Amino acid sequence: MDPFPVLLSFQVSLVATLLTLLLGLPVAWVLARRRFPGHDLVEAAVVLPLVLPPTVLGYYLLVVIGARGPVGQLLGALGIELAFTWRAAVLAACVGSVALLVKAAQAGFESVDRRLEQAARTLGRSEWNIFWSITLPLSWRAVFAGTVLAFCRALGDFGITLMVAGSIPGLTQTMPLAIYDYVQANQMREANLLSLVAVATALLFLLGLGRLARLRF
Amino acid sequence: MLSLSIYKELPGFTLDAAWEAGDEVVALFGASGAGKTLTLQCLAGLARPDRGRIVVNDTVFFDAATGTSIPSRRRRLGYVFQGYALFPHLSVAENVAYGLHDRGREERRRRTAEMLDRLGLTALAERRPRELSGGQQQRVALGRALAVDPELLLLDEPLSALDAPLRRQLRAELMGVLREWGKATVLVTHDLAEAFQLADRVVIYDEGRIVQVAPKSELLLRPASELVARLLGIRNILQGTVVKATPEIIELSWRGYVLEAINSPTRGYLPSPGTPVAFFIRPEYVRLIRKDRPGPDPGHHMNRMEGSVVREVDQGTNWTLLVRLDHAGEPAQGDYDLEIEVPKLVYEMLEIARDRRWAISMHRGSIQVLPAA
Amino acid sequence: MFRIVVLGIFSLLAAAGAASAQPKQPVLTVYGAADLSFAFREIALLFERATGAKVVLVLGSTGTLAKQIEHGAPADVFFAANASFVDDLQSKGAVIPGTRMLYAQGRIVLAVPRGSKLRVERLEDLLGAEVKRVAIANPDHAPYGRAAQQALQAARVWDALKPRLVYGENIRHTLQFIETGAVDAGIIALSIADAPGVRHVPIDPALHAPLNQIAAVVKRSGRPELAMAFVQFVNGPEGRPIMKRYGFLLPGDF
Repeated sequence: MDPFPVLLSFQVSLVATLLTLLLGLPVAWVLARRRFPGHDLVEAAVVLPLVLPPTVLGYYLLVVIGARGPVGQLLGALGIELAFTWRAAVLAACVGSVALLVKAAQAGFESVDRRLEQAARTLGRSEWNIFWSITLPLSWRAVFAGTVLAFCRALGDFGITLMVAGSIPGLTQTMPLAIYDYVQANQMREANLLSLVAVATALLFLLGLGRLARLRF
Repeated sequence: MLSLSIYKELPGFTLDAAWEAGDEVVALFGASGAGKTLTLQCLAGLARPDRGRIVVNDTVFFDAATGTSIPSRRRRLGYVFQGYALFPHLSVAENVAYGLHDRGREERRRRTAEMLDRLGLTALAERRPRELSGGQQQRVALGRALAVDPELLLLDEPLSALDAPLRRQLRAELMGVLREWGKATVLVTHDLAEAFQLADRVVIYDEGRIVQVAPKSELLLRPASELVARLLGIRNILQGTVVKATPEIIELSWRGYVLEAINSPTRGYLPSPGTPVAFFIRPEYVRLIRKDRPGPDPGHHMNRMEGSVVREVDQGTNWTLLVRLDHAGEPAQGDYDLEIEVPKLVYEMLEIARDRRWAISMHRGSIQVLPAA
Repeated sequence: MFRIVVLGIFSLLAAAGAASAQPKQPVLTVYGAADLSFAFREIALLFERATGAKVVLVLGSTGTLAKQIEHGAPADVFFAANASFVDDLQSKGAVIPGTRMLYAQGRIVLAVPRGSKLRVERLEDLLGAEVKRVAIANPDHAPYGRAAQQALQAARVWDALKPRLVYGENIRHTLQFIETGAVDAGIIALSIADAPGVRHVPIDPALHAPLNQIAAVVKRSGRPELAMAFVQFVNGPEGRPIMKRYGFLLPGDF
């Protein structure tokens, strides 16, 4: 049995989760700490990917990043391939899972007593500094939980990945796509084996993360 | 030196306040929701007034006209929050050192150690806030605010989270710290005794507006209006009618008696006869005329009246007697006219429990006329 | 502890990075309809041996694959389950016009789970009371589903049967419904009907429009000659027997 889907899935999920953190934490912070016109709209937009059918979401993404799409053409001119590469799989996983991180982190940030941040402000710290020294340490459990959820969701993404990255063996066929392929081809032995590997590796990874979390406090 | 003039509109509430102070302790006094904390937040840069100007020690913190607004972190102030807002994930030492992040490591260590020592917290340096008592937390909050050597110290209800005996003790400690520190301090409180003990000057807030600014000595003597008197918890606030007014004396009629009160020495108040006027009689300055020594002649006792004790209230060290006067008519305060404070010794010696009928008198200085607001 | 985790992450990324590196030999990416999986696995092997090229098979629902090709999927050649999707791609300029070629004509069959007690031999039998649920591929986007609908309409049972229909995403999916007994009967492609879990009877091809399965070389392909060679291989002496064995017949074979 080919180990490629397993390795690819972990690579894609890790990168996607990092991207999710990079994009999601600032959005969560703005939603938690700032009121502005359109605030509720942004909140709804963030959750939208969880509500839309994955293949539909994937299709609209494809229209944008594919060879005929504005982003796709721009990137193409720069010599960067996005659609139908592992990078598209990262995009798919990120889109599908960012809402989980944002919602969890937003709730975590909102639960931090604003007066603590105000106190930090009067003591001379910048907003950036306050986020890292006060807000994040006090909400890290929520952020961590959101990150784990996002990672798991990224690992298991199917519909969006199928559309924007395709199920190209040896190139973009992640674990979920490979398992589906095996089932479709009636290769049940391979399907079961890969499923087992998927579950086992995910479990090990999550247990390791849990250990890491407990070491903190 | 502090000069403040701010206007801010919020849903259901408007703050419109202006006052000034020197290098002294100023207490913002008033009921909850009167705008005191909001003022403090504007001073600290945590809230932004709609209009106005704030100047502290010649630095313009805020000026709506020029669009100036110095961010909180550059105002060099110390703020002790209500409830202390100590960082729960940091130790006592780390809390105190939090504002010193831009100093060198050596200076940081030194200043922190000094502050901890000054406030008696050295033994607790490694503890977390949740392990501390209320009094200890208050000291950490104070230490954290003072460690940065601020230009201005702001305290929001610094003692209200504590129970009575602890509060008294800490009030004394706080007073010592503030005196020693010596720079401008603004303190918010709804406790009059606290304002009087800690502050030099008091600003009285009522529903978003200032009703009086005065050094504390002046406040109880000369409340600016009936409203202020009520806010200060002054008792025996009564309504009478002017009979005659001179720069020294105001004669007024009340409950069928004609009383003689002093006029304000700084602002001669000259209402015309027949004007309704509010005044108060200090309960602790009303004299009970002893029956065995009535005095040389009836005219000797100023503002003499007669009545019966209707009820009394045990105040621990004193008795408050509720007296209803003999003259016919509705009593001024429910079922009685006047409250009189009497030490327990006097109460027992005069056998007031048994002997209920009394003649009373008060010097004209004990009757204070309140100007119309 | 933290260092170990970071090291682990990096080694994982390195390994995967290596894993996704391209091999040196020429690669032909063949996009094909789901029903071709058994046949093409064999043909691909033969082709690889014959040409030394590596064949990457990407199989799925024709509609989805066509959309992806339209938006730049890295296919060299496309074997669709019908003609309309290829025509559509041609009108969008995504395939090379002269390369359009018929590679099979599909047949549909009526299937029941192998252990089923039902006697279902004609389309009209589906109206029986014991037939609670019938599976076909989704007529909206699956050509075999559309053919199934046409056949049922021609047999005048479509309206009565509609409430009992269950739609599979594609014929593979539909086959699974029948194999697992989730439905009592279904219509699938002949090419996948030899699965152990079902038994089937043929349906008269006159009842539906011909299921012409068309292949074409994708315009973006970097190897159009190799792609054309593959199409000819499938239709040639090496490919034909395998295709026949899996029920993919050319008009001359029927």
